[in-house]
Amino acid sequence: MLAYLILSGITTGALYALIALGITILFKAAGTVNFAHGELFMMGGFLAYTFVTLLGLPYLLALALAIAGAFVFGIITDRIAFRPLIGSRALGVVLATVGFAFILRGTARILWGGKGDYLSLPPLFAPDPIIWGPLIILPQQLVVIGGTAIVLALFAAFFRLTRLGKMMQATADNAKAARLVGIRIEHIYTLAFGIGAAVAAISAVLMAPLTLLYTDMGFALFVKGFAAAALGGLKSLPGAVIGGLLVGLIESLAAGYIASSFLDISAFVVIMVVLIFCPSGLLGGPAARRV
Amino acid sequence: MSSLALANLPAWLVGRRTLGCAALAAMIVLPFFANPYWLFVGNTLLIYVILTTGLNLLVGFAGQLAFANAAMFGIGAYGTGLTQVDFGFPFWLAAPCGMFLAAGFGTVLAFPALRLSGLYLGLATLAFAQIAQWVFMHWEAVTFGAGGFKVPPVSFAPLPVSNEIGLYCLTLLIAVVVVLLAANIVRSRLGRAFVAIRDGAVAAESIGIDLLRYKALAFGLSGLTAGIAGALYSGLLNFVAPESFDLFQMMLQKAMIVVGGLGSIAGSVIGATLLTLVLEALRGVKSWQEIAFGALLLGFVILIPNGLADFLRRRVPGWREPLIHPALSGDADDAIAEPVPAPIPAALQGGTLAPGSLAPTSAALEGAARQ
Repeated sequence: MLAYLILSGITTGALYALIALGITILFKAAGTVNFAHGELFMMGGFLAYTFVTLLGLPYLLALALAIAGAFVFGIITDRIAFRPLIGSRALGVVLATVGFAFILRGTARILWGGKGDYLSLPPLFAPDPIIWGPLIILPQQLVVIGGTAIVLALFAAFFRLTRLGKMMQATADNAKAARLVGIRIEHIYTLAFGIGAAVAAISAVLMAPLTLLYTDMGFALFVKGFAAAALGGLKSLPGAVIGGLLVGLIESLAAGYIASSFLDISAFVVIMVVLIFCPSGLLGGPAARRV
Repeated sequence: MSSLALANLPAWLVGRRTLGCAALAAMIVLPFFANPYWLFVGNTLLIYVILTTGLNLLVGFAGQLAFANAAMFGIGAYGTGLTQVDFGFPFWLAAPCGMFLAAGFGTVLAFPALRLSGLYLGLATLAFAQIAQWVFMHWEAVTFGAGGFKVPPVSFAPLPVSNEIGLYCLTLLIAVVVVLLAANIVRSRLGRAFVAIRDGAVAAESIGIDLLRYKALAFGLSGLTAGIAGALYSGLLNFVAPESFDLFQMMLQKAMIVVGGLGSIAGSVIGATLLTLVLEALRGVKSWQEIAFGALLLGFVILIPNGLADFLRRRVPGWREPLIHPALSGDADDAIAEPVPAPIPAALQGGTLAPGSLAPTSAALEGAARQ
């Protein structure tokens, strides 16, 4: 029981970690949170569904196209709902991205709604469960965990080794100074939106075979990813991963040991308690008190 | 825009108060002409006026990025409905129970708000809203679960009016009282304190504004109005169910105050009216409702960030709303990373310093003062 709960907790936790990663990358770079992130996740999943199931493209090509498509949607989000608002208050960006989220959701409902509410995406490997002692492991769970690990490794390398990654880090560290040394920070913001959306699409593709796709899935996942990112302090990439895994594990254990209905709510209880006692997250460092 | 026909009319004719009175007169005569459907729409509209007026105090004036108003609305409705069903209270007794329950929860939310600001506060209140929604859904022994429950109709027994018209008149009366009270609050010491907190919490505290007290008041007042609206809503529908108080509801109220004008009481009324009618026109086509609503929200934030009220204030000579403040633009503690000066001369682009970036902003000065 415990081993099973931990395995499923880590699987969902890995997905929350990827969503939180996208949120954190954007927050580090641009100091804002994209409330359409969950809808970008949903769009990534539906694009993959379109390419794989409706158009019958080869699986890996379809995934690459879906991720590229989500990247483009991320850039559109930046152009429509963020760039006109640079220099205005955080509330404006939040509301603009909320508005964009509703546009995306309504569009998805027109395009993909009405074909049965829940759509399924075939998994990468045939679902032949591995039985290991008392534990039944779905291959897709391993794909999720492995895929997350690969994405995380790629990001670590990207930020340490590439010029672009270092430019993003410089912008996150000090936007004014970054501009002084010649970094076009608007482009970095755009890139952060695109990368966040692409990561969201990867997590959607990994998750869809396990859960199913539906147009209203975005917001709940966004809030959980946001909670995970905030647990990690919103500014730390390892923090986002740890936060995501924690949220996944807490959900799974609460659902297993208390009541299954607690699955949806335990993360929110935890995040409220954490925010009240550590206002900038568990890994957010000492709180900058803004009385 | 000076060619706008309204601008040529005498100020007293198109003043804010004149237009307000005209709107009020229209709402008063509505029950005499309207069929039951339009009476229902009018009643819904008035409930949204009550909700958005309270929410604007919290978000537009006090500047707190809170997402819990739909939950307060729900707590008011559940409090009213459940005391009627479980204890057999009449509506007159049950409604204040729901109201004060919501105000209580609202006030409690001010405590996290004292430690959190900006997006963290948004997340904490979002979590609270999700928890409230979950309690409505899953605490079946008390709330009757996801299916909701029926509430007895509100009776105006000794008065010679039908239930529907009676409730409409009651809602209208409360809406007028709430709007007038709010308009007075924002001109009082309280309203000025809210605006001071929004524009700079540190500065506000340094001139003697007790943050806990005023934040608690802002959250409590918006909770109270949301509670009243919830009580009336349960009476209007005769039915209470969790999905009426979900995130869409929250974002809808947010969109109303943005469209109407953050930091403007008249704006709350205008935004509530406009969005209620738009959503009513698109009723039944959820996707188009979402698109229209999202596009309105996005379009207003970007193109008319201070809402229709500010637009009217600039264009209509008699508008003259006191203390209307741009709530979205301008320097603030939480301004997005780097204000980029709009026209950067080509010669200066690509590495050299942009003009204006050496001029200290008020936010920067405040940061310096904090160190």
